[in-house]
Amino acid sequence: MNSVVIAGYARSPFQLARKGRFVKTRPDDIAAQVVRGLVERTGITPEEIEDLILGCAFPEAEQGFNLGRIVGLLAGLPISVAGVTVNRFCGSSMQSVHMAAGAIRMGAGEAFICAGVESMTRIPMGGFNPLPNPALYKARPGAYMDMGITAENVARRYEISRAEQDAFALRSQIRTRDAVAAGHLEEEIVPIRTTDGVVSADGCPRPETTIEGLAGLKPAFDATEGTVTAGTSSPLTDGAAAVLVCSEAYADRKGLQKMARVRSIAVSGCDPETMGLGPIAASRKALERAGLTIGDIGVVELNEAFAAQAIACVKDLGVRDETLNIDGGAIALGHPLGATGARIVGKAAQLLCREGVSHALATQCIGGGQGIATVLERI
Amino acid sequence: MTEAMKSGGEGGVASPFSRVCVIGSGVMGAGIAAQIANAGVPVLLLDRKAEGSNPNALADGAIAKALKADPAAFMDPAAAKLITTGTIEDDLGKVADCDWVVEVIIERLDLKQGLYRRLDEVRRPGTPVSSNTSTIPLARLVEGMPERFARDFLITHFFNPPRYMRLLEIVGGPLTDPAHVARLTAFCDRSLGKTVVKAKDTPGFIANRIGTFWMQVAAGVAVEQGLTVEEVDAVIGRPFGIPKTGVFGLLDLVGIDLMPHIAASMTSLLAEGDRYHAFAGELPLVPKMIADGYTGRKGKGGFYRINREGGGKVKESIDLKTGAYAPSRRASLPPEGRDAAGLLGAQDRLGAYARKVMGETLAYAASLVPEISDDISGIDRAMELGFNWKMGPFALIDQIGAAKFAALLKQEGIAVPALIETAGDRKFYKDIDGVPNELGADGEYRPVPRPEGVLLLSDVRRKGKPVLSSKAGALWDIGDGVACFEITTKMNTFEERVLAILEKSIEHVKENFKALVIYTDATQFSAGANLGLAQFAANMAAFGEIKKLIARGQTVFKSLKYAPFPVVAAPAGLALGGGCEITLHADAIQAHAESYIGLVECGVGLIPGWGGCGEMLLRLAADKRTPKGPMPPVREVFEMIATARVSKSAAEARRMHILRDGDGITMNRDRLLADAKARALALVDGYTPPAKPEFHPAGAGGKLALNMAVDGMLRQGIATPHDVTVAGWLATILTGGDHDMTETLTEEQVLGLEQEAFYALVQTVPTLDRIEHMLETGKPLRN
Repeated sequence: MNSVVIAGYARSPFQLARKGRFVKTRPDDIAAQVVRGLVERTGITPEEIEDLILGCAFPEAEQGFNLGRIVGLLAGLPISVAGVTVNRFCGSSMQSVHMAAGAIRMGAGEAFICAGVESMTRIPMGGFNPLPNPALYKARPGAYMDMGITAENVARRYEISRAEQDAFALRSQIRTRDAVAAGHLEEEIVPIRTTDGVVSADGCPRPETTIEGLAGLKPAFDATEGTVTAGTSSPLTDGAAAVLVCSEAYADRKGLQKMARVRSIAVSGCDPETMGLGPIAASRKALERAGLTIGDIGVVELNEAFAAQAIACVKDLGVRDETLNIDGGAIALGHPLGATGARIVGKAAQLLCREGVSHALATQCIGGGQGIATVLERI
Repeated sequence: MTEAMKSGGEGGVASPFSRVCVIGSGVMGAGIAAQIANAGVPVLLLDRKAEGSNPNALADGAIAKALKADPAAFMDPAAAKLITTGTIEDDLGKVADCDWVVEVIIERLDLKQGLYRRLDEVRRPGTPVSSNTSTIPLARLVEGMPERFARDFLITHFFNPPRYMRLLEIVGGPLTDPAHVARLTAFCDRSLGKTVVKAKDTPGFIANRIGTFWMQVAAGVAVEQGLTVEEVDAVIGRPFGIPKTGVFGLLDLVGIDLMPHIAASMTSLLAEGDRYHAFAGELPLVPKMIADGYTGRKGKGGFYRINREGGGKVKESIDLKTGAYAPSRRASLPPEGRDAAGLLGAQDRLGAYARKVMGETLAYAASLVPEISDDISGIDRAMELGFNWKMGPFALIDQIGAAKFAALLKQEGIAVPALIETAGDRKFYKDIDGVPNELGADGEYRPVPRPEGVLLLSDVRRKGKPVLSSKAGALWDIGDGVACFEITTKMNTFEERVLAILEKSIEHVKENFKALVIYTDATQFSAGANLGLAQFAANMAAFGEIKKLIARGQTVFKSLKYAPFPVVAAPAGLALGGGCEITLHADAIQAHAESYIGLVECGVGLIPGWGGCGEMLLRLAADKRTPKGPMPPVREVFEMIATARVSKSAAEARRMHILRDGDGITMNRDRLLADAKARALALVDGYTPPAKPEFHPAGAGGKLALNMAVDGMLRQGIATPHDVTVAGWLATILTGGDHDMTETLTEEQVLGLEQEAFYALVQTVPTLDRIEHMLETGKPLRN
């Protein structure tokens, strides 16, 4: 059977929405530059790409018109390369990896660009025209629940204290700061041309964060009983990411750099009101499909939508601290919804090589109550 | 396009200046630059070169600070983009592209003259250069300068903050080309909105000459006669139409550290015989206060301070003898001392103090004609607009009576100025054939000088009677077939009587006029509905009456909208609630730049019930910049109304879509009516009333999205439980009630939704609590 490999990873810098340097840059323009950068860095022959599968959580306005196709054209991919847009909210671009993997296994193509993008500046979360279904809301209000409140629900259910969340957020900032200092983030970043000049560094991390500073923040979503703050939540972010997914045979034939093999994938559903627990069931499924246990996993990329849900997943899955988000996570780096899946798959593949461990897990929670997971193995 | 150009009408002449250079980016320089940018004119702002990587750091920093200033220096933050920064060292050559140079650097003759010499080399010949100096005589500034420079040189003296203070003193020298004076006067008047008062080249010009004398006398005599600071500010405050900051409160605002400088400057500049010298002595407390950091509000405090010890907030006043602070105590005025005349006649120590201080001050002002100004009106305008006195010295003397005032001076042992003797028992101001006249030093009356094109309703009122009138409003004939409707209730609030006279006026205009302007000379256009009456009706459970009033207001406002003649609303100051709604129903808006407009009903637990919701939806939907789909207009209107947002300028009201693209902004308050009238006349030819609109509801899904957002805010602690109720009704109106998004709604249907929501909310206890709280405290209740 065809094995599927990750053969390249690139992303844009991540910038704070509404305040950062991508405020005046269209998301399709950011994504196109990342795709272009990935093609150049991997050395893939563009004509041989089957499809550009692009994840986006709010595919309307500048993210509309089948963004996958638009980005392909903007990136100068040959017109023979197809383009599709995928929406699984925060799991969108990990889903694009899964779709590519499935297609490769079916023999329906050998090379895919799996990308994701979100401008949370230019397209508001919820979109311009939120029109939720009143009947569903009545029956199951959690379906449309504010993400912050789901994090509060998780914190309550797992009895995760404010102090624990603050400590976790600080960890994310420190890991990110150290990774930046060690130069670990430079290689993955494609500098982006904007009207405001070229942007080549991340804008979200707050290396000056202290535990006292975090402890002083007010709850962001629940003023009276809340424990989740802006400091323990991932910030609204603009950015794009992409990975090259291809069959191992193709990579070998073309001499592409094989970063990791895709060992197993899974998605699952959970209660929308505690959507942050999504990674638990999804990861268990993926590990089981791979015949592995969490003890076999040396690198875990668990998306930090909120410290509360990340801690709950870490506890429930038994993730060891030394394996977790080694270069930092979304609380520090930012979480451009559609782009995060590609980032953490790419990062997990990159870390597999760097850390010299055998297996990696990339997983994330998804609004509306879902989880998605990918297990990678070292080649 | 600049605001000035957009404004149309008489105020809409294109700016004669395409670029202005301001040199010096201190508080005044930055403020002047901001006001020029507010007028839509590009500015080059120069300051000294800074060390470090950004040579423009001084000017850049000044703009950043101006952007954060409160009250705001910019009417719209985007105006800051009209300012280019640079350094005197590197960028002075760019002055060649500027049509006017304003110098606002430090008050040092050598530095100013050094700059002028360099400016003279780079400016285009004939470019006017003006200084904002407040202490250096023009004659000294041009001494030794080439004659061509002196011809182009003048003083333009702004007041702080330049956006809000309407006074500008302009001073030309004997060599100054009168054309420059005329051109700058026109620009500062029309584009910057200033009332330009012609002053002479004398120390302190007009306002500061009298103002510093007044403050010096008030402070010195207070120490002598043993008054407390609270007593001084109570006496030399409201009874004389002077802001409640009085004297010591004002000194705290100005900065106590400036007092010695101002005194030294006036002492050195004023002639030996000037009365100022008799009061020039320094308050014994001042040096120590400055040394201790008590420089006023910018420092640790001044004559007043806020004591925050122990976490509290206690206002304290200084003891003028000991320098010790103690909690401030409200001074009680004698019962007859509510107004100037009464207080001056009071037989207690406060009356004696008032007689001495105001006697000296008003006599001083009278003794300065024609030394500092040829017209008494120039002096009055300067004090009214430079120190926010309700009445200038001569208007005050008129109120007291010139003869009575002369007697008071004699009794106080103060020399009676010739001008007061000349007046005898006559008034300084008098209407002759409906034209305001003032008394000259020669004892003859002559018309009060007025800039060309200024039109006030008070002018019309002087000349005759209204076409229609009641206790709540009046309709005036303002000429050329245009009528003007004014509200005349307290704060111009709306009540049934206002609607009645408005309705009658609309009928009358149909038959007798070509167009209608809605305008008032009063400071506030309208503070909204009369809440006191609403509360009264609610307390009597006369909800039926309230329902009728809502329907009545809707009918009258719609008849205004669909009247067969054009209607222009000309708001200035507050236009809240109903005041905003009547504005929204006009064909066009001509707003004063300082207009504070908004639908504030939610603050008192209500929703706009006179068509405001629908009119705002139409504005947003008509704007091509609004994102597509049913929700973007709804969300924007929802946010604006639910948060009771009020614009902080007409420019911001434009951003809020209250003003549309074609609507105009007038910078000078005194030109608003003329601009509105011109705008109305421009609409007359071929006028057809607007077509009835259709509304496209977002439906139940849209309503749910809004409700969910408000629920989130409740949990976040941003919204209160009653906010959720009020916002729920607002969401119902804005999303079309129970109607599906495929349907269209008529205007009447949307008005019906407004009625239903208003009627429901006005009967809730939390709404009545909000109304009561607002009436009692003037602040919204967060319940």
